[in-house]
Amino acid sequence: MEVVNARAALLSNYEVLQLLKEHEAEQLAHAKAAFAVKKEHGTDLNAALPTDEVIENLRTVEFEAIEYLSAPFQPTAQQSAEGISKLVRSLAPESLTKAEKLQIANLAPTEPIELYVIVEELEERMLDKMDDILQRVKDSLDDSANANADGAPRVVTEAELAALAMDIDGDNGWDKDGNDDEPEYVDDEGAFEGDLDLDDD
Amino acid sequence: MFQLAIIKDTIPLLPATFSVPAEKALTYELNKKYANRILHDVGLCICVFDIIQAGEGKVRYGDGCLWHKVNFRLVVFRPFKSEVLLARVKSSDNTGIRLTLGFFDDIHVLEGNLPWPSAFDPNERAWFWLPKETDSEKAQWEDLLDSPLVERQYLFQSDVVRVRVTTEKFYDVEPGPPKANAAAPGADERRSPYVVTCSIAEQGLGLREWWTGGTEEA
Repeated sequence: MEVVNARAALLSNYEVLQLLKEHEAEQLAHAKAAFAVKKEHGTDLNAALPTDEVIENLRTVEFEAIEYLSAPFQPTAQQSAEGISKLVRSLAPESLTKAEKLQIANLAPTEPIELYVIVEELEERMLDKMDDILQRVKDSLDDSANANADGAPRVVTEAELAALAMDIDGDNGWDKDGNDDEPEYVDDEGAFEGDLDLDDD
Repeated sequence: MFQLAIIKDTIPLLPATFSVPAEKALTYELNKKYANRILHDVGLCICVFDIIQAGEGKVRYGDGCLWHKVNFRLVVFRPFKSEVLLARVKSSDNTGIRLTLGFFDDIHVLEGNLPWPSAFDPNERAWFWLPKETDSEKAQWEDLLDSPLVERQYLFQSDVVRVRVTTEKFYDVEPGPPKANAAAPGADERRSPYVVTCSIAEQGLGLREWWTGGTEEA
């Protein structure tokens, strides 16, 4: 194993979120298809492929990362590809370092104090351009309010993926608002945990 | 926060996967090997971004797997120095605060990097900042703990804070060669292989609500 380049490129939070969401949607589609086939044909006519199994580590880090990046305190959920590229292009003439431009894209500062924290020596370098930059950031967020309205894949909750993996009656009538973290039908270990759970309701 | 790393590795594919297109099988095996693990001096690996190039599978003497040499790109989490992030407070103790990002937990803010003056309240088990206290004479913990509760700016669990990364440290957690003496020190604490330290000591850092409205909370 050889690391050719530990830092070949920097990625924005938005890009990573899109990548993870796509991957998750693919996995969900794949799991649904495999489940449907299994239901039709009963047990294995063809044994399950090793690549059909869910990779726990990947699932965990994907789920947590999507949750973090889509959190309400992050601007990522209101961003769009066009919004961000427009923002970065408009920042090109300013003398900002790559790291500063990336942080502006990731954190979407809308207040002067946020910009102070990101850009070093803001007063000396671009005090007059500050409001301009903040306005451009606000624009990039507003644009995306329209862009996201179409076909952004719904974030799948852990419960849903787990529900599909377990053999239920194929009933998709789950509570889909993602507030449940325990499926109604639990396997044995789950049932015991629930019974002995003495903490707060 | 996230970077792309280019890695070269040799991956065995089991015969059971020969029916799956090689790219898909290789991506699967790579994800299985790297996802959610920390690569020394690279960062926390999230997932495979794409495969740049993969060689033909070669069979080794002694097993039936096809070994492929793969060049691929990996999405890793590795914040750079002085990057600003938003994180949640996970826990606090008298040495400092521990923050979490959900997928990564080992972010610490040590006592020296908290806004001045700050103190740890053992009853609430949380740190608080006293922005009104400007007298350095009265900035010892005993004095700060006497301050009125309304003036204290607490940092409770699950609060969202803005932090700036100061340092990162990779620890090599490989078990060393067995030591001759029985009292091997290697077994005591389990250190995380990747630790990030941050600061909230500047203007604009810390709880976001401290700075909204553009005016300092004082």
